[in-house]
Amino acid sequence: MFQTVTASLARLIGRAAPKGSLFFYEWAASPAAGDSFLGQLNLKKVQKSYGTFEVLKGIELEVRNGEFVVFVGPSGCGKSTLLRMIAGLDETSSGDIMIDGKRVNDLPPVKRGIAMVFQSYALYPHMTVFENIAFPLRVEKMAEDKLKAKVENAARILHLDQRLQQKPGMLSGGQRQRVAIGRAIVREPKIFLFDEPLSNLDAALRADMRIELAKLHRQLKATMIYVTHDQVEAMTMADRIVVLNAGEIAQTGAPLELYHKPANTFVAGFIGNPKMNMLPVVCKSVGPGGVEVEYQGQSATIPVEVRGGLVGQPLTLGIRPEHIQFGAADLVMKITPSVIERLGAHTVAYAALNGEGENFCAMLPGSAAIRTEETVSVGVNAADCHLFDTEGIAIERRVELTDVDMGLLKAGAV
Amino acid sequence: MSTQPAMVNRYRWYELIGIYAGILAFLTFILAPFVEGFLVSLKPLSQLFSSPYRFIPQNGSFEAYRTMWVSVPGFARYIFNSFLISTIVTAVVLTLVVPAAYAFARFKFKGSGHLLGAFLAVNMFSGAVLLIPLFRLMRSFGVLNTYFAIIVPGVAFLIPSAIWLLRTYMMRIPKELDEAAFVDGASHFYTLRRVILPIAMPGITVVAITTFIGSYAQQFIYALTFNSKTEYAPLPVGLFAYFGRQEVIWNELMAASFVGIAPAMIVIFFLQRYLVSGLTAGAVKQ
Repeated sequence: MFQTVTASLARLIGRAAPKGSLFFYEWAASPAAGDSFLGQLNLKKVQKSYGTFEVLKGIELEVRNGEFVVFVGPSGCGKSTLLRMIAGLDETSSGDIMIDGKRVNDLPPVKRGIAMVFQSYALYPHMTVFENIAFPLRVEKMAEDKLKAKVENAARILHLDQRLQQKPGMLSGGQRQRVAIGRAIVREPKIFLFDEPLSNLDAALRADMRIELAKLHRQLKATMIYVTHDQVEAMTMADRIVVLNAGEIAQTGAPLELYHKPANTFVAGFIGNPKMNMLPVVCKSVGPGGVEVEYQGQSATIPVEVRGGLVGQPLTLGIRPEHIQFGAADLVMKITPSVIERLGAHTVAYAALNGEGENFCAMLPGSAAIRTEETVSVGVNAADCHLFDTEGIAIERRVELTDVDMGLLKAGAV
Repeated sequence: MSTQPAMVNRYRWYELIGIYAGILAFLTFILAPFVEGFLVSLKPLSQLFSSPYRFIPQNGSFEAYRTMWVSVPGFARYIFNSFLISTIVTAVVLTLVVPAAYAFARFKFKGSGHLLGAFLAVNMFSGAVLLIPLFRLMRSFGVLNTYFAIIVPGVAFLIPSAIWLLRTYMMRIPKELDEAAFVDGASHFYTLRRVILPIAMPGITVVAITTFIGSYAQQFIYALTFNSKTEYAPLPVGLFAYFGRQEVIWNELMAASFVGIAPAMIVIFFLQRYLVSGLTAGAVKQ
């Protein structure tokens, strides 16, 4: 059964709606499937160090077949290094990289069954688009007629049919990026690796390419691993996001899971735009309804999973700017905005809260009647708040997210 | 679009005069010998030692360009020798230097820095310093009085600068291209042949031109030392044939010099076509 799917992968390329897609989804999401899969990646205690400096500290990760996984994190967190190690461009200091249950640490990229798209496109400037896409096939000395068919097929998927005889220098940024993707898909790899492929494009083109890539993933059904520092790209394209921080996985989960249940203050601050506000609070009491915290004389009960040893502890209250509203709420704050950004759909107000250095940020309706240097009172509901302990680890929220489809929180759902 | 030059290239009138005066002074110094040489080649021999000396030839003619072939019958052979030696030297240097420069540009290996430094050190010695040891070496190998004796030292002394030139050029080729080819399964030699070589063509052309000119210029000293047979003598040595017992036939000598340079000029003009800039356009986002 799986062999049939494997063999038909090549034929699937180029078809907008493959017939077996429903089956395919179930098959990919089935937890009992084991590791006999094509395009499954396992990282076991993968480490990378340059001298004494540890770039990656024991990464454990499982990427299922057909998944679109995005590595996201601030620059220098090791996400690109990790991708290059999976690709076989950088050596692994210790730990195992397994593809389809086979240890590939010492194999060259081709033998691993991966293809990579580089941030800088890395096109061969002296070759036509056709030859650029055909390059991997030329390397394996494929017969001319078969090669031609494959390249033309890839070009059709990427809308490059009209450009095949042009040189990369004549193409626009988006087209160049598509050629680079074309070069990756002709080889029909098990795993696609993308190293910040959109960061060189302008904002409008980036949004277009994001949609194209998501479509391509649906079309090819291949495992894709995508590295970016842009959380919007991560949120929009990923089945599952891996947030990396200083060489460690901060959290792994579906985009909405990360948004609604960030595991720690780092993920909470990284996912979501504008950034989550963090306020210092003190735990007053713990009850069946959650944790009662005190913030500047007001107290509110945050519905979180209760655990012991919290009473009297200083905690961190996380409030997303988009959950702040005018008027009465569980917690009320008076803010005097110093900067107001009007985006049309929203108004973003920044204020220094109680003379604290950090900007308090609120995202209000587009036509919100606020002005700089005019104090307004805003509030937030306890159910929307996040709570973190002294170590910055989240105290799990009791998700009463009636407006969120729980199915969306499941990783792997497309 | 206006035809005015860009803002950074706009000068006041006195600045322009200064610039052109400077250019004129330098060009005069560089070109005067060539102009004078050409004028000499047009003059009859008797006029060369007339007093007062006149720069502009009276009843000048191209007669010397005809008689030079007669007074030194082997001259065509000397030109051919020079050309042959330079071509072979250039070919050998390129075949050795292209992979070497690629290795120096791309691979980190122990002692690569020292090796490059050593190459530079070799360049600091003039070939003349090593003439005597080289002569002994050639003699013990029994290769004196052959083309081989002129070509091998030529190659040896031109390789270092060629490696430095080409390595610098290749380092400017984005490394991602190598990585992309590696990911696609290409071996190092395949990458070198299909990716690096075509992109490095302008750099290789520059190396080819400098090597050819270098070889044309430096073969004199080796030919003079390691070769005593007239049939292997290159152009610079051959020019001595115009030094007669009694007098030097200056006008023919000058004419021969100009004719001798011609083949090299033709080769350089031909190679120049490959000096296209912007060949890496579109390779990576810059």
